Amino acid sequence: MTRDRVAKLSLYAILVAGLLVVVGPFLWMLLSSFKTEAEIRSVPPTWWPSTWSLGNYRDLFDRLDFPQYFANSAIVAVLVTLGNLLFCSLLGYALAKLDFPGRKALFLVVLGMLMVPGMVTFVPQFVLVSNMGLANSYAGLVLPFLAGPFGVFLMRQFLLAVPDDLIEAARVDGAGEWRIFWRVVLPLCKPALATLGILTFLSSWNNFLWPLVVATTDDKYTLPVALALYAIGQNRIYYGLLLAGAVVVVLPVLIVFLALQRHFMRGIATTGLK
Amino acid sequence: MRQRWLAVAASAALMVSVTAGCGRDDSGGGETAKAVEEGKATGEITVWAMGTEGEKLGEFAKAFTAENPEAKVNVTAVPWDSAQQKISSAIAAGQTPDVSMIGTTMQGEFAKTGALDPTPADLFQKDAFFPGAWDTTVVDDTPYGIPWYVETRGIFYRTDLARKAGFPDGPTTWEDLTAFAKALQDKAGAKWGISLQPGKTGSWQSILPFGWSNGASIEADGKWTFDTPQMAEALTYYQSFFKDKLSPADLPQGALEPAFVKGEIGAFMSGPWHVGILNEQGAKGKFAVAPMPTKQSSTSFIGGSNLAVFKDAKNRDAAWKFLAWLSKPDVQVKWYQAVSDLPAVQSAWDDPALSADPMLKVFGTQLESAKAPPSFPTWTQLAATFDVEAEKVCVAGADPAAALKAVQSQAESIGTGS
Repeated sequence: MTRDRVAKLSLYAILVAGLLVVVGPFLWMLLSSFKTEAEIRSVPPTWWPSTWSLGNYRDLFDRLDFPQYFANSAIVAVLVTLGNLLFCSLLGYALAKLDFPGRKALFLVVLGMLMVPGMVTFVPQFVLVSNMGLANSYAGLVLPFLAGPFGVFLMRQFLLAVPDDLIEAARVDGAGEWRIFWRVVLPLCKPALATLGILTFLSSWNNFLWPLVVATTDDKYTLPVALALYAIGQNRIYYGLLLAGAVVVVLPVLIVFLALQRHFMRGIATTGLK
Repeated sequence: MRQRWLAVAASAALMVSVTAGCGRDDSGGGETAKAVEEGKATGEITVWAMGTEGEKLGEFAKAFTAENPEAKVNVTAVPWDSAQQKISSAIAAGQTPDVSMIGTTMQGEFAKTGALDPTPADLFQKDAFFPGAWDTTVVDDTPYGIPWYVETRGIFYRTDLARKAGFPDGPTTWEDLTAFAKALQDKAGAKWGISLQPGKTGSWQSILPFGWSNGASIEADGKWTFDTPQMAEALTYYQSFFKDKLSPADLPQGALEPAFVKGEIGAFMSGPWHVGILNEQGAKGKFAVAPMPTKQSSTSFIGGSNLAVFKDAKNRDAAWKFLAWLSKPDVQVKWYQAVSDLPAVQSAWDDPALSADPMLKVFGTQLESAKAPPSFPTWTQLAATFDVEAEKVCVAGADPAAALKAVQSQAESIGTGS
């Protein structure tokens, strides 16, 4: 009895410690975004703002064309996410369940692409996009990210676990390939789709360098780029502005995550990926 | 880390396009500038500018369009953080604007790609600018662009503590600086006499001035010369502040200002932007700035930003006219009043807005002789090596002469890039 309790207590102690380590920085970010610049820089640092001030937020919204940047970020992230959900599941399905010549080779190509770091292709990709006349356009921001090897790989691994019998049964019942994919396979993929969706949304939402380089005028900037504009100077960093900006950028992601959390957890558990 | 990789990739792409010969004329020196047509500027001028400059320039340029009603200035703000990647990618893809602000230390790398337009001599007089600032625009004897604003470094110190330490006017020589830092600790109760940057990113901006003040030069006849007795003496002197426990070697970022305000740190070396930060933190009226201490001379570092026009500019002539307007003395003064950028044009400093401020006066005098590293394309790469070696010297007590040898051998294998 007491042994159980000790075990339980120590488990909770470890969990609480872990929680503090994980949540601590976020909490500090949130609280400090309400502090003055001088208080953020004070040593030793304070947890609770000595005076609550909305100055950082006011500064942020006054100096940045927020609705525009927010809309840009949202448009890009949503389109990229939808594209990934559609294309990655299509290709993943083909690689997992359809038999066609060159399937193995195609899968190897996908795997190979996973190994190429993004930095290597960055400049050539930008040259390509601008040669296509897509610099400074939404198309230039979205197109290169509509499908990715990681998503294809994730969907394929998940789909391998779907029993062939289900698909065979649908085929026997006279369903076409498109209908099988749409009506039978996709509904089974919800956890994997949720995982893919949230990961893609996150990386698109946080993407900094691509939009920075592709957008040649600031009306096409996304939120992370816009936030870097004034918070980081040539010789100093404006921490208040930076923290308030970080809070505003994190909120939508947090909302998406909370909405999909249930599926997300299941997706990770079943595919063994993150 | 990620960004550093990208910068390397982007530079590599640029190098490839240069060596492959598709990077336009790479003749190595003596490019001549085309003239700019007479008359008012017309058409749209696209400008990239970083940080506060990017935020305020669009509004400021309205005075220019009032004088040139047929011209329009479109400013795009670019984050400082990744300006280098953005500009080098744009050059690689031919997506450059008409004009861009360019950090002085990036100048060599960009000019070498062949993407920058040489400065038309009929529009700009070299002597109008601080010589150190003008030199940052010159690559292979050809100026590409003009200095826009400048900054330099001096010794910030607490006036009350300096009085107690027996140096009411701050230090003036190298011997002074050491004695000053000691006295700040022994007589004025500061925990640290002075805070100098212990190596790490950008520390060359603090260390090279000591070398220059000692008569060292890191470049001679188009070659790197880090490994000189003068530079070794300067680095040994710099190291002595860490060895004698006069300067902290592990100050966390952001800890300097509060400690200075509390009197725990008596002095530090920095640039004009620190005046604003210290005032915000409640040190107003409690500090002053001294020029770099003298050995053979008092020579500081000159930084800031240049403005350059790209060869691919759609509206080249108007772009140069806009730059000519920005470098008029009265416009430079107004720009200082708008964003606190210090004028690169010397005569602007005669305006009472600048000459009446005692702290600015120190920086103004210092700027007349301040230097920048040579604008060789490989400088940013070498600066990183220098910073790493400097850290070994300051923090781990490595031998300064050996560290400079290491920098020199790296410098010889990288070359100047010209």
